[in-house]
Amino acid sequence: MITELFSTTVLIGILASGIRLATPYLYAAIGETFSQKSGVLNLGVEGQMLLGCFAAFYVAFTTGNLWLGVLAAMIVGAVMGLAMAFVTVNLHAQQGISGIGFYLFGLGMSDLLFQRLMGTVETVKGFQKIYIPGLSDIPGIGEILFNQNILVYGAYLLVPIAWFVLNKTTLGLKIRAVGENPDAADSLGVSVAQVRYFTIILGGTLSGVAGASLSIALLNVFQQNMTSGLGFIAVALVYFGAWKPVGVLGGALLFSMVNSLQLWIQVLGIPVPSDIAVMMPYVLTILVLVATVSRVRAPSALTKPFERDE
Amino acid sequence: MLKTRFGGVLFQAVAFVLAMSFVSLILVAVGASPLEAYKNMLTGSVGSMRKLAEVLVSFVPLLLVTAGLLLTFSAGLWNIGVEGQIVLGAIGTTWALRYFVDSTLPPALIIALSILAGMFAGALWAAFAGILKTFGGVNEIFGGLGLNFVSTALTLYLIFGPWKREGVASMSGTEPFPDIFSLPQLPDLRISPWALGIALVAIVVVYFILQGTYFGLRIKAVGKNFRAAYLLGIPTWQYSLYSFLICGALAGAAGALQVTAVYHRLIPSISSGYGYLGLMVAMLINYQAIWAVPVAFFFAALNIGSIQLPIVLKLDSSLSGVLQGVLVLFVLLMEGVRQKFVKKV
Repeated sequence: MITELFSTTVLIGILASGIRLATPYLYAAIGETFSQKSGVLNLGVEGQMLLGCFAAFYVAFTTGNLWLGVLAAMIVGAVMGLAMAFVTVNLHAQQGISGIGFYLFGLGMSDLLFQRLMGTVETVKGFQKIYIPGLSDIPGIGEILFNQNILVYGAYLLVPIAWFVLNKTTLGLKIRAVGENPDAADSLGVSVAQVRYFTIILGGTLSGVAGASLSIALLNVFQQNMTSGLGFIAVALVYFGAWKPVGVLGGALLFSMVNSLQLWIQVLGIPVPSDIAVMMPYVLTILVLVATVSRVRAPSALTKPFERDE
Repeated sequence: MLKTRFGGVLFQAVAFVLAMSFVSLILVAVGASPLEAYKNMLTGSVGSMRKLAEVLVSFVPLLLVTAGLLLTFSAGLWNIGVEGQIVLGAIGTTWALRYFVDSTLPPALIIALSILAGMFAGALWAAFAGILKTFGGVNEIFGGLGLNFVSTALTLYLIFGPWKREGVASMSGTEPFPDIFSLPQLPDLRISPWALGIALVAIVVVYFILQGTYFGLRIKAVGKNFRAAYLLGIPTWQYSLYSFLICGALAGAAGALQVTAVYHRLIPSISSGYGYLGLMVAMLINYQAIWAVPVAFFFAALNIGSIQLPIVLKLDSSLSGVLQGVLVLFVLLMEGVRQKFVKKV
């Protein structure tokens, strides 16, 4: 039985689904990286994702247009981001608590809308795998990397883009400056409020897409609380990745590969006790925790509201 | 006037009205009657003695968690790991009950020891977050989140592994304990007066610690200005840890009572989100212990009152979550507005 796990087909299957499963973590965690880089801890990711899940599913289900679904999820995420930005930037609210407020709101609201507008669990034909001539035919690698749906490609494309924006553009410089030393940035004429509005709304939008990737690309169904802690893991991944897009990618891949392995072990009926299999991704979180004790320095102004000294 | 306590209450009242209006708008938008919904929530929570007892069952863990969080907040700490501390309390208590279940000790003593074991386990879990924070430089929010996941994993592992039910393990939890190991309840009502008593004592003790002791003063000093407190000779890291430990013990007590007074076994979602809710209550009352009882009661009533909504109005009980979330956001909003006013006046 256990040898089955090491056959080429299964290995390819594990890697391919690991790549796929990392998608929602990537969107959410890259978005969170932007807001944390600018000094804002957004704990509401989970709530934004859940509403994104529902919006995408509902719109795709009723209109039959998946892209409209993604757009709806982005708008919902952006609106929640806008509200979050207003509360944290203008009103100097404690970021942790407003985040949890948005989490509870999203959790309840997505469920409420689901009950009122749909009532029963439905399925939708989500984004299909895209065949890329040439690349998809490469043995092994083609199956793992180039036989995925469009939202998966988008997630991986986001990593170099985020890296480039954060490290090579003026905008990235402003974001980092605002997160490290808002007073200095302010005195140089950078609008702290503007930059933070931008990053929080961007984070919300990407969390919305993360939700859409779950409900109309990976699972193709909506259920209440279907993210079940995924958004909080995304927040932890930002920390694990030391606020670097590439680090976040590493963390998301590690987490999803183990999750994928766990799922395949159950599918193949390999006699690993089910309690061990269920625990595997969580055990990984312990390792993440231990690994992150290596004191990577957080953006200095993280969680601190900015106020100009008069 | 805005600076006075009355001004604060006034703004909170406005926030409450705005939150209710906002939720009403949502209800109208999805085609439900807000009045009917609120009426049902009211009768569903305080409409009868039985419902009231249910509210108190939900009130006990919420109040205990809030009491603990008042200390960590006062010390300037974000103990988001409180959720895991509740879970560990439940695990510790279950462990002790399993250990003593065949012993000849009197059941009352066994229950007391088990609750203490839960408090100890909660404190231990909080100590992890505290040590990571004070010695590892790990932000307590991240450490706490990680530890929350680990505690969930541990619960699942125990329920599906070593503490498996005879026959098949299931999400319904471990084998229930015999009735003699439950805290006595009022006749025909689910609430145990002992549990209620413990929660009320806890909030009173926390109130006095914060208002009337040197210890509480030092904790507050650490929270207000860590560096100044350090320079004044307060062993700051010790006081940070103390506040973590006490909060963990109280959260552990909440978990312990979930086992001994409510579920009589360990279930996967034993913390039921009381940790996050407690964070909101503590923040809503602006860290003033005196308001903890009414606000925690109100939140508990929202929880219980919304349970019958799906049956009557085809509205999900998730409405309570929406209401609680919106309420917190509007209180934050009004607090921000008030700060602006205060500065201008």
